[in-house]
Amino acid sequence: MSVRHDLSLARTDKTRNREKEQRPLELSLIKRLFSYTQPYAFMRNILFFLVLLRGALIPLLALVVSITINGPITDKDLVGILWYAIGFGAFALFLQITLVYRQKFALELGESVVQDLRNLLFRQLMRMPMSYFNKTRLGRIISRMTTDIETLRTGVQNVLFVTIVGLMQMICSGICMAYYNIVLFSVILVMAPLLWIINQYFHKKISATSRELQESFSRVTASLVESVKGIRVTQGFVREDINAGIFRRLVQDHSSYNLKASRNTAIYIPLLELNSQFFIASILMIGGYGTLSPDWDMPVADLISFFFLANLFFNPISQLGLRFTDALSAMAGAERVFRLLDAEPEWTDASDAQTIDSMKGQLEFRNVTFAYEPENPVLHDINFKAEPGQTIALVGHTGCGKTSIINLISKFYLPTSGEILIDGKEIRNIKSASLRSQMGVVLQNNFIFSGTVLDNIRLGKLDATDEEVIDAVRQLNCLDLIGAMTEGIRTKVTEKGGGLSLGQQQLICFARAFLADPRILILDEATSSIDTITEARLQESMSTLLAGRTSIVVAHRLSTIRSADLILVLDDGRIVERGTHTELLSLDGTYSNLYRQFIDSDI
Amino acid sequence: MNATEQNIAVDETSNWELTVRLLKFSWQYKFRCIQVLSYQLLMLFTGLAGLGLTGLGIDFLRYQVVPGTDPPNWPFGLEPPVNIAPLSVIMGIAVTILGFALFRSCLNYFYTMSMGKLIYVDIVATLRALVFEKMQKLSFRFFDANASGTIINRVASDVGALRMFMEGVFIQSFIMILSLVVYLVYMLNIHVLLTLACLATTPLLWIVSVIFSKKTRPLYMENRTLMDNLVMTFVEHIQGINTIKGFYLEKDSIGQFEQASGRVRNQRQRIFNNVTIFAPFVGLLTQINLVILLGYGGYLVVNGELSIGTGIVVFAGLLQQFSGQISNLAGIVDSIQQSLAGARRVFEILDAPIEVIPPENPHLLVEAKGAVRFEHVHFKYHEMNTVLNDVDFSVAPGEVIAIAGATGSGKSALMSLIPRFYDPNEGRILLDGHDLRTLRIEDIRHNIGLVFQESFLFSNTIASNIAFGHPSATRDQIVKAAKIAAAHEFIEEMPEGYDSIISESGVNLSGGQRQRVAIARALLLEPAVLLLDDPTASVDPETEHEILEAIENAIEGRTTFIVAHRLSTLRRADRIIVLDHGRIVEMGKHDELMSQKGTYSQAINIQAIDPASMKLLKATRTKKDGEL
Repeated sequence: MSVRHDLSLARTDKTRNREKEQRPLELSLIKRLFSYTQPYAFMRNILFFLVLLRGALIPLLALVVSITINGPITDKDLVGILWYAIGFGAFALFLQITLVYRQKFALELGESVVQDLRNLLFRQLMRMPMSYFNKTRLGRIISRMTTDIETLRTGVQNVLFVTIVGLMQMICSGICMAYYNIVLFSVILVMAPLLWIINQYFHKKISATSRELQESFSRVTASLVESVKGIRVTQGFVREDINAGIFRRLVQDHSSYNLKASRNTAIYIPLLELNSQFFIASILMIGGYGTLSPDWDMPVADLISFFFLANLFFNPISQLGLRFTDALSAMAGAERVFRLLDAEPEWTDASDAQTIDSMKGQLEFRNVTFAYEPENPVLHDINFKAEPGQTIALVGHTGCGKTSIINLISKFYLPTSGEILIDGKEIRNIKSASLRSQMGVVLQNNFIFSGTVLDNIRLGKLDATDEEVIDAVRQLNCLDLIGAMTEGIRTKVTEKGGGLSLGQQQLICFARAFLADPRILILDEATSSIDTITEARLQESMSTLLAGRTSIVVAHRLSTIRSADLILVLDDGRIVERGTHTELLSLDGTYSNLYRQFIDSDI
Repeated sequence: MNATEQNIAVDETSNWELTVRLLKFSWQYKFRCIQVLSYQLLMLFTGLAGLGLTGLGIDFLRYQVVPGTDPPNWPFGLEPPVNIAPLSVIMGIAVTILGFALFRSCLNYFYTMSMGKLIYVDIVATLRALVFEKMQKLSFRFFDANASGTIINRVASDVGALRMFMEGVFIQSFIMILSLVVYLVYMLNIHVLLTLACLATTPLLWIVSVIFSKKTRPLYMENRTLMDNLVMTFVEHIQGINTIKGFYLEKDSIGQFEQASGRVRNQRQRIFNNVTIFAPFVGLLTQINLVILLGYGGYLVVNGELSIGTGIVVFAGLLQQFSGQISNLAGIVDSIQQSLAGARRVFEILDAPIEVIPPENPHLLVEAKGAVRFEHVHFKYHEMNTVLNDVDFSVAPGEVIAIAGATGSGKSALMSLIPRFYDPNEGRILLDGHDLRTLRIEDIRHNIGLVFQESFLFSNTIASNIAFGHPSATRDQIVKAAKIAAAHEFIEEMPEGYDSIISESGVNLSGGQRQRVAIARALLLEPAVLLLDDPTASVDPETEHEILEAIENAIEGRTTFIVAHRLSTLRRADRIIVLDHGRIVEMGKHDELMSQKGTYSQAINIQAIDPASMKLLKATRTKKDGEL
């Protein structure tokens, strides 16, 4: 039963290329992953030792049981029984103690490596230029940090050490069995590959089903998410019942995949159990034949030993199968994590870049051309100059290149050709750090972090005292607006500014920039209209913010544009008109038309 | 927060009441449960039979080979006749073991399948559909008060908690009790004292499992919070990378992240210290049982009170199974806690009252004319603050009403009362002279077209988005609506036209385009009343005119309510209602209000063009006109 897609509420994207979940074992990846355990070499080496020790001792413990039964118990030797039982107890105690450390060290090692990788990854991401974040989907970056790193943890914690214990256990119990009875052992040996094949067959099947299951569940959640987000539309258009019907079908479809998955386990698990019963039966048969037939003198004791040892021989097989799958996923995760760690930023500061201590705030564009993708230039031959303290307004339709200009000034990107000069120095020769510490950026989608309003404003100047922050808000004449929030400046803000109105969010961004007191301010005015009263207050604060610094403003507000020292009218990546408001209006060109649209008047 | 408290009775039921309710809920699936449990019981017996037979085989062999051994205890007096060769007896036993094993495998298959049906078909699917259906009918208050993530979780994962109750608690406890009883009886049957001696450590195991899970659960919960915090820090820093880089905060961010990451690691360390002791401890207890078995069992063998095969070997097998079941207990205790928490959230939704109750004997209203009247309407979202205060006005069919006012003045509340998303606390609202509460909700809403501030479009084709309110609409009807909404042209230009899929990686519509699709969606129903809640709010001023044209076409011949800030729209309205703190403070045409010099004219003057610019514009225009 499959759902016709035109019936579903939300279509999940089939075209999205999924990332590979597995990758063949690769020595270089393993070596590199292993190298991250180097700082913990001592712990790791002890771990290796413990693992080998346990692999050898576990079969011996089982052997003690069967020896006790076959020896003193059969011989009716009471003192012997006591000694053997005590010996077994001591041995078991020792083994469990090694288990404590075996687990502890493995977990710690995995956690340490994961933490190191997490931190490295984060440092690397902070080093990447803006272009990386614009090109890479957020979900991808997050899964590097979460899912992929988790597969590496499993790789370190489980795969290697569990595999070693398992293999050792198989080998040692195998040797013991072979020592006792080679014929019986060879029967068991024949069954081993069979078990392996069954395991691998079902692992493949189960993981295929679980992929289908995930896909069908993502259809369910996609519909669910949209139903919640679109609830107003749904109720407004009275679609509740239709949507419920669609959802019911999706859920049924999902449950059919669940049943399919159940069917797999319903066959696989009994098959495994059957296998172990089968070997008990065959041990009995062969052993029975061996002990009863006169020409093949086999002791019954062997049967008892086998009863205990064979399990130890078989159990690791299904374990190893699982670990093998884990290892393949770890490879895929490792490859992606390392690729990100190794990615070279498209550009970094020149090695001889200088710091400017006190910037005056003069800014000049000289024949600047810029393209995000080489074949598609978005800015052509841009020339302008801003003297310290001037306000430059950028005006034009969406997509005309306004944002690109501010991206270049912030040195988020480097121009394809031409020069950008700050205080007469080419921007490439100025350290990004020194540049940005004297520059303030207020973007339309400026980000509000979860925390208090105070924390958010303080981002502009980390060492500012509470008083300094409050003072900044006071100077912007907005103390009452912040005070009106439930807990004033200590109001908690949730994800992405939740709980704050658009106007309040803007205000925080203004205050943040004001506190930073930059020489050059870049401001992308919000387009969303806020009610006229709040708007007027924001305008006031903005003029305080702009005063006394060089400001580049992507302007959407009449008053901002009107008061600019220079207006640059952009069209399709070129400056088509420049001048003051009055000059441009008298030109009666692009600007006049834009202006008419703004005030929607047909004057 | 407060709104939920009002809307959804805060669930204060005790865990016990909740458990009883869950048990009642489970009771509807009693037959399937009985089926599942019978399979499990049969499996238990066949498993024991296999184990017993293995012991029997060993004993029989020893009896045949080792001189002086006692004859095996044949179960149920099924002693084979003496004339059968010992080898055949062994073969017989082996074949019977296999037979039981095969039978058990079949049982296991049926068990797993009926469990799957119980869980996935009977419970999860039904419940998900039920919760979804209910959720869709809840008032917007609910959606305002709860983050969308938590609502989604209620349907997606909290329903899983109920499943956990069935699978992990209800069935598991039965299985545990059943198997413990069966094992116990079997062991007692072999040797009473040996059983007691071997199980002496069991209560200890029980206690330790419970203590352990009590101790680690808060640790795991703390870990989840820390981990969530780490991921959130990470996500925020990536999403806010503009701000980070803009203010050169990279170093500080790295410090913050590494701190969060270090906290996770240190806390994990504490978990490890606990976890790594538990498993070995349980292992040790199990092995102590074995020591007792070897010592005391060995003594019994020496005294001839116990055989090796059906005695010691079988006992060893049983003890393993037994302690396996006991350690399940911790899992069950855990599941109870988790499933109760989830169940509480699911029942909250299922029990939430539906706020807008349809009338029992509704007036039929197929095609409304569009007369709307507010009669002394008072409204509040929750107790504390009144949102609308004595709002009273009437609107004739075809009138265009603009609503103006500051944020929080009650504009959106007024709009959402018209389609009866909420009921007023006092007063009434009439459509074509009928109180909304006497009309069928479908009738009301089919006569009202809605366009929101930021219109939500579903990730589906453009056509099915336009036809959202009327899924069986023909393509002609869709195209007609799109044409009126000035959307037809850009839709046709898309590679797949009306069948283009709107999604993150499909077609990306601009803000103006989305709003025009939304207007088409509202128009498809040919509503008598059109509600436009600030439709240009989230659009660039430069692209606003695209929408204005669509609105102009759309309001033709319909009663229209439009929340607006822009002058041109306000000027176009037949009447403007100015709201302030929930009251109508001014009402009238643009020119009238401007001459009143009140709130309205003040607000308008802020965005008005300054005289100097006006002069310049006029000058150039006259020049041009002169040239023509």
